[in-house]
Amino acid sequence: MILVVLAAAGGGVLYVKALQKDLDTAKANIIKLEDGISEQKAVIAQQEKDFESIIKVRNDLEDLNRVLETANKNLNEKFNKLNAAGDRRDIGALSVNRPKSIEKILNKDEVHERRCFEIIGGSPLTEEELNATKKSQINTVCPESANPNYVTY
Amino acid sequence: MWKEQVMQVLERHFGTKKPITETSHFIDDLDGDDFDIVDVTDQVCKKLEITIPEEDTFNIATVQDLLNEVEKNIVQ
Repeated sequence: MILVVLAAAGGGVLYVKALQKDLDTAKANIIKLEDGISEQKAVIAQQEKDFESIIKVRNDLEDLNRVLETANKNLNEKFNKLNAAGDRRDIGALSVNRPKSIEKILNKDEVHERRCFEIIGGSPLTEEELNATKKSQINTVCPESANPNYVTY
Repeated sequence: MWKEQVMQVLERHFGTKKPITETSHFIDDLDGDDFDIVDVTDQVCKKLEITIPEEDTFNIATVQDLLNEVEKNIVQ
């Protein structure tokens, strides 16, 4: 009888110890899982940041594309403009007759274009750009971005 | 006489929808651009058979500026 009781008690002790070992293992597993969840959350947060960066780059590229399209359209209009008499502007002839003037105008356009890229990149508008209300004061490449107070007339 | 000829060039180039006066700004009032200023200067030079140095035309913004440059070069 005593042997049976001792055996039962010994078995109980062994069982409890096994349970405690399982419990410790489970606790360790829970800690690992929690670490895993934290890592996953960090990965997800990083992915969200990356996604935002990708969207920003895409938007910047779209803005850049718009600027280039406007610049191209402006150049086409400038190079092929008709005057009131119906004569088409001859940039070639003007470049021969007044080369320095044409070079100066093209350089000015290039400066405007570069400034448009800066604005797309986040550069703040200057006082001069903000206060521009006349056609002669605006950035001819991207007035909608560079000169918010200019209204076409 | 030469002033009338200059105004004729300007009216032919910009039209007569907008009044062209001595104070008219080529870009702001006549809806022109920098190339128009070079273009009309070139046309005026040909019409009056004069030469205006390019450097003197860089700051032309109004009709009066153009008239001043023409006058300077006709007198000389």
